[in-house]
Amino acid sequence: MNQQTAEKQLGSNWGYRAFYLLIRLGGRKAAYALLYLVCACYVLFWPQVRRSCDPYLNHRFPSSVGFTRLWQQYKMVVSFGKMMVDRAIVGSLGADQIIVSLQGREQLLNIRDQKRGMILLMSHVGCWQLAMSAMGALNEPIHMLMHGHASSFERQDYEQDNGEVKHESPYRVIDPQGYLGGAFEMLAVLKQGGILSIMGDRVPKDEKNRVHVTFLGQQVALPMSAYHLASSTGAPLVVLTSRKCDENHYEMVVADVIEVPEGLGRKPEAFTVYAQRYATTLEKYCQNNPYQFFNFFDMWN
Amino acid sequence: MTLKEQIKKILIEDLNLEDITAEEIADDEPLFGDGLGLDSLDAVELAVLVQKNFGVEIKDMEEGRPALQSVQALAQFIEDKQGK
Repeated sequence: MNQQTAEKQLGSNWGYRAFYLLIRLGGRKAAYALLYLVCACYVLFWPQVRRSCDPYLNHRFPSSVGFTRLWQQYKMVVSFGKMMVDRAIVGSLGADQIIVSLQGREQLLNIRDQKRGMILLMSHVGCWQLAMSAMGALNEPIHMLMHGHASSFERQDYEQDNGEVKHESPYRVIDPQGYLGGAFEMLAVLKQGGILSIMGDRVPKDEKNRVHVTFLGQQVALPMSAYHLASSTGAPLVVLTSRKCDENHYEMVVADVIEVPEGLGRKPEAFTVYAQRYATTLEKYCQNNPYQFFNFFDMWN
Repeated sequence: MTLKEQIKKILIEDLNLEDITAEEIADDEPLFGDGLGLDSLDAVELAVLVQKNFGVEIKDMEEGRPALQSVQALAQFIEDKQGK
């Protein structure tokens, strides 16, 4: 089984509906109570769930074994579940149920005002989908590179049931499955001084599009597309992280701004130093928020 | 050196095509997919290189799609733009 899609196969439509119903009837506390139970069952009786946590936990907590490891797996799955419940709460009860704050707002606005374009380099941490609402501060459309076959749960923040982008949404989806991976759409956005959002922590299939860096003590391959686009257009890379810091509070942080020199060409090695800077930022995040890293596949293999 | 030869040289040298020489690239060979096997990052790089070397901008997908079909199509696109 493709481990990159493992987390998407957890749960079922009726399971999601049960959570939505519980949220409407009993609010967050009721949904969390069910979540603790469901996650315990997943972790105890579904080895695949434990295995999907291990690549990360093996690197974040290399010495943990036995019950300690089981507890860590549980905490990681619960954190992921809470993130999904929180998104469902916003979908069912309204955006005012969750507070999203932004650290680095002035820095972000300054970059926007330079009109050089901006690449938001995101990661599968915290709840980037919810935290993105903090990007409303930019007052600009945000073009997101997002697979057309992303699950309906993934797309619910941006689309209506009929697949069209929500009218009030500041988001525009660029499908990497489109013509040439959406390359010209992304270029056009940046050339016009617009904002593009790309995930920086998914391993691309093609070796020639991978840049190798050290993350949590071992080499991983990261996609070079964001760094290459930055070099091609002169747009700065803004590394954003999000974290759940309280029951109903998420924080989006401008963790770093990376300027990639123009004209670095096509070879992945040219981007290693910049990708390593991103990886180091992500590593620092994992040290501070050990159970909010949600890449449930083996990046290190 | 003709325009098509210059484009082939760019493909080989700047896009790091391996196991193929400029002479082996047919003028009408598709650049992407089953042809030369270029991908989306190559498309971005090629757009940048075309602007840098020939002063011609591929503005968007509407221009890029026909222009990047083959070496011949790209040469024609550059000539058309430069002639304007």
